[in-house]
Amino acid sequence: MAKKRWWQEKFNLITVSFAYLVSFFILAAIFTVVIKGFNSIGKVILTPEIQFAIKLSLYTSLISTAVCILIAIPVAYALARADMPFKSLLNTILDLPLALPPVVSGVCLLLVFGATDFGSWLDDMGLSFVFTVNGIIIAQIFVNLPFMIRVLKSTILAVNPRLDFIARTLGCTPTQAFFRVTLPLSKNGIIAGTVITWARALGEFGAALMLAGATRFKTETLPISLFLNMSTGDLDAAMAAANILIIISLISLFIFNKFGGDFIGGSRAS
Amino acid sequence: MIALKNVSISLGDFSLKDVSLEIPAGEFFTILGPTGTGKTVILELIAGLYQPDNGRILIDNEDAAQITPEKRGIGFVYQDYALFPHLNVYKNIAFGLQLRKLPKEEIQKAVGELTEMLGITHLCHRYPGTLSGGEQQRVSLARALVLKPKILLMDEPLSALDPNTKKLLCQELKRIHATYQCTVVNVTHDFNEAGMLSTLVGIILDGQVRQVGSPDVVFNHSIDPKVASFLGIAPKVTYA
Repeated sequence: MAKKRWWQEKFNLITVSFAYLVSFFILAAIFTVVIKGFNSIGKVILTPEIQFAIKLSLYTSLISTAVCILIAIPVAYALARADMPFKSLLNTILDLPLALPPVVSGVCLLLVFGATDFGSWLDDMGLSFVFTVNGIIIAQIFVNLPFMIRVLKSTILAVNPRLDFIARTLGCTPTQAFFRVTLPLSKNGIIAGTVITWARALGEFGAALMLAGATRFKTETLPISLFLNMSTGDLDAAMAAANILIIISLISLFIFNKFGGDFIGGSRAS
Repeated sequence: MIALKNVSISLGDFSLKDVSLEIPAGEFFTILGPTGTGKTVILELIAGLYQPDNGRILIDNEDAAQITPEKRGIGFVYQDYALFPHLNVYKNIAFGLQLRKLPKEEIQKAVGELTEMLGITHLCHRYPGTLSGGEQQRVSLARALVLKPKILLMDEPLSALDPNTKKLLCQELKRIHATYQCTVVNVTHDFNEAGMLSTLVGIILDGQVRQVGSPDVVFNHSIDPKVASFLGIAPKVTYA
């Protein structure tokens, strides 16, 4: 009995040590970048290049996040509430970009928009996505939309469907029931999903690089700027971009956790 | 009058088979049966929240398939009350009236009268999460009754309450039925509740309606062996 307890204590000690070691490693890696960039960030942040990268990152990420919300809400509602054929297949397809490496997603987009009749037709209509700012937005949407759908689906699943039923008997049309009951009750999930999608859009690199390229003062978002400046050895500028992304990530993570980070993966579904 | 004619529905593993039932207007009709026999689904079919796979539902001789849930004039009280957690008690009760865009004073008057009758005026500014089971039940009733429905559907409304609150609410439900003169369809598995409240009782077993009659007939003179077995009584044998 005493031996069993001794083993249990040792086992707990090992698992707790692993948790602390991993946390320490993550913090050490982040702080190294923060300390390296701390002195120069004030100066570098005012340079035209970083200013451009900040503005382009904000512009593209805000648009892509807004589009993600508008598309994710109806899709998530359908997946959570509607009876439809091939639902589980649809779920898997919509999750695909989450499993794909972003660079592969970028290649897929590049071929769709750059090497098909559909891409040429869009180009003729004035909608060009290859090596343009539009390409960054599409890449951000493609990579982040499944994430937003997943968070919102779990949020809607957590809302008791009987509330919708009751709203119907009280006089709501299905649309009114959605806007007056389901949507307000999904508020926290929408906020959490929006913040984390926005943060992920700001940091999107692989897919955007493949589709929009890495051109200074053209498609230079913060992560692209970090990549370009690291490549050319301008560490100050690279660290400034990295620090801005770290600060945004930390704030986003805090807000996400506050408003319902446990929605990821459907753990709140009831 | 509500009539279900050969209604069948499959919902995943569960199914109702060929259910026929007539509920005359103005009755307090209780559907009695063991858990999982489809009692709630019958209410949801009457409310229009599900469409039957086969068969027809008539409300006042009109085919209900043509009437959307919001136009059926039905009040619904669920076992778990299903109050809107993001709205306070007043807004929960006023929800249906506000949808109809009635003047504010009219809404205040209607909600005020009902909350006073049910003794919940002091709860108006509270949120559902802070209420006891009995209080939530009264709010849920008020929300359904404020629209003066011609049919009130109740899904085990008293099952989660303590015996004292249950007794009080039983009396209130009888009073409400007498005051509003609406058809009440109540679902329960509690024999006492069914006997105390109902003017008619229908027994549902294995997804089928086995017997309909007054509480006295069903509880004391059942001729169906399955019903008698469910009620724990000996069936009355009839000789030809």
